[in-house]
Amino acid sequence: MKALAVSSVTFSYDGAPQCALNNFSISVEEGRMQALLGPNGAGKSTLMRIITGQLRGYSGEVLIYGDKMTDRSALISIGYAPQPISLYTALTARENLRFFGAMAGLSDEQVVLRSNIVLEQTGLTAHSEETVITFSGGMQRRLNLAVALLHSPKLLLLDEPTVGVDPQSRNHIYDTLTELNAAGMTILLSTHIMDEAQRLCSSVTLADRGEVIFNGRMSEIDNLEKLFLEKTGRGLRDE
Amino acid sequence: MSKQLIELIKKEILILLRDRQTILLLFLMPVALIFFLSLAMEGVWADKLTGRKIQLIIENESQSPKANLLEEKIKSNKLIQPVDRPHGVDNDQIFADGKAHAVITIPKGFDEGDKPVEMYFDPVIDAGYKIATRSLITSLTVEVVMGIDNLETVVAGLVTEKTKPNKEFPSPLQQTVPAYAIFAMFFIAIPMSVGFLREKKDGTLQRLFTYPVNTNLVILGKIIPYYLINIFQFILMLLVGVFIMSHIISFSFHLGEHPWHMLPVTLVVAAATTGFGVLVASLARTPEQSSTLAATGAILMGVFGGIMMPHVLMPMVMKKLAMISPMYWAHQAYLDIFLRDAAFVTILPKLIVLTLFAGICFYIAGRRVQWM
Repeated sequence: MKALAVSSVTFSYDGAPQCALNNFSISVEEGRMQALLGPNGAGKSTLMRIITGQLRGYSGEVLIYGDKMTDRSALISIGYAPQPISLYTALTARENLRFFGAMAGLSDEQVVLRSNIVLEQTGLTAHSEETVITFSGGMQRRLNLAVALLHSPKLLLLDEPTVGVDPQSRNHIYDTLTELNAAGMTILLSTHIMDEAQRLCSSVTLADRGEVIFNGRMSEIDNLEKLFLEKTGRGLRDE
Repeated sequence: MSKQLIELIKKEILILLRDRQTILLLFLMPVALIFFLSLAMEGVWADKLTGRKIQLIIENESQSPKANLLEEKIKSNKLIQPVDRPHGVDNDQIFADGKAHAVITIPKGFDEGDKPVEMYFDPVIDAGYKIATRSLITSLTVEVVMGIDNLETVVAGLVTEKTKPNKEFPSPLQQTVPAYAIFAMFFIAIPMSVGFLREKKDGTLQRLFTYPVNTNLVILGKIIPYYLINIFQFILMLLVGVFIMSHIISFSFHLGEHPWHMLPVTLVVAAATTGFGVLVASLARTPEQSSTLAATGAILMGVFGGIMMPHVLMPMVMKKLAMISPMYWAHQAYLDIFLRDAAFVTILPKLIVLTLFAGICFYIAGRRVQWM
């Protein structure tokens, strides 16, 4: 079964001369961890925002486990960790989890239970009552992931989840993702780090200038960075 | 109320209460303004209206029987507080030091009618205050010269005052308490708009919409907390006025004959202030921009609306201009309650204006706001 099916999506920002996404299609099989790669301006973040229901006004279709975005069942099925650390820094880790848990429709008991689990998974149990503003970059990044995992989503969408974190936090995040995927969670990982994609993912989609330019299995690729540069060119991207 | 809405409200209030600057701005600033400006205005009101004693230095150079009688009458008048001239200090220095409001000299030759009583006033004294003092000294001098025991009693048969109680001139507390409560309530636009734009900037607002949350619920979750805080602000300022300031200055705070009218007025004023906050949030692009816009807007509305300076003291042009400020309508509605004991139908037009203002703000914001 397809966890995610994006079919022929075209989208332009107001006033932009070019399409951010042009007839873009991508699918992720259930239980897979798939990488979404592309240089700046490829349309990765736009795609993530469309899949998560933040952007409307596109043509084409987005289905999550067969449910159309933005149906409630589709929204509930996804967990999203955006690239900017989107947390309330004046609140504690647990207060953030309680808030987003309520938004996901969890009961008080479920919030407490799941909070304990995701705090443990992300190594933040000891800091659960501290305000997020006191957290290091790595801790904030891990909490960003914990919030996405809180309501036990079937499909996890990660937009550059290890940007700006130290190797310890990065490895902890890698281990967590590997465990989650092994337990059956489907993951779409958007990243610029080739090693990260090659280490974690079983398949890859390459995008450039709003279009898909490569789809394949990771096991068939010797050197992902070399492939990436061959497909997208070596010229600097200032988009 | 849905659990999601409760959590949205709780989140907003928690964030606000943990921001010390916001607490200072919303609660301590108006309390401080009410405290200091009530004290400052007490002087203006008391001097002119309630007869705080006039500080006079009386110098009797004549020492004749009539001069002595006049000196005695001036000194014993209930409005006069005789002050001794400090040794070697001239009038200019006395006035500069604030030791007296005026110096009265009864010169040699007063009895013979050769020389009049001389009055020296502090040059910065209020004109009304000066006229009142001159009138008093003139009356007392006429009594002595004409040999009349009590001129006031004689004049009472000829001229009598029939002025209605003043329903336009607020006491210091009636002016400052509602004025700075309203002022502070409009400052809610700062944390409200800054919070909204900060959430947009850091992505938490966008993240919220990746959950099955209704947009209207998010809007309510943004408005209700600030609306409640506005009402709490007013209650706090009122308590400060009634229970603290009235004990510090010599004015009591009368709530008027219909204090329950405060409820609809406060509810409508809070709607207008939150409307202003939403409007600022929709017009500004960054938290910094919204902060400047909200503060400038609130201060200008305060200047025009009779908050900084009582509306009754403004020239006619400014009185007309004041009507463009929602703070004017809010303040006048409270003055209707505290000062004029007005019926609800008298207050209603002001509430309609404020409701219209709120409606226009919400409408423009609804058209302009970009959630993503």
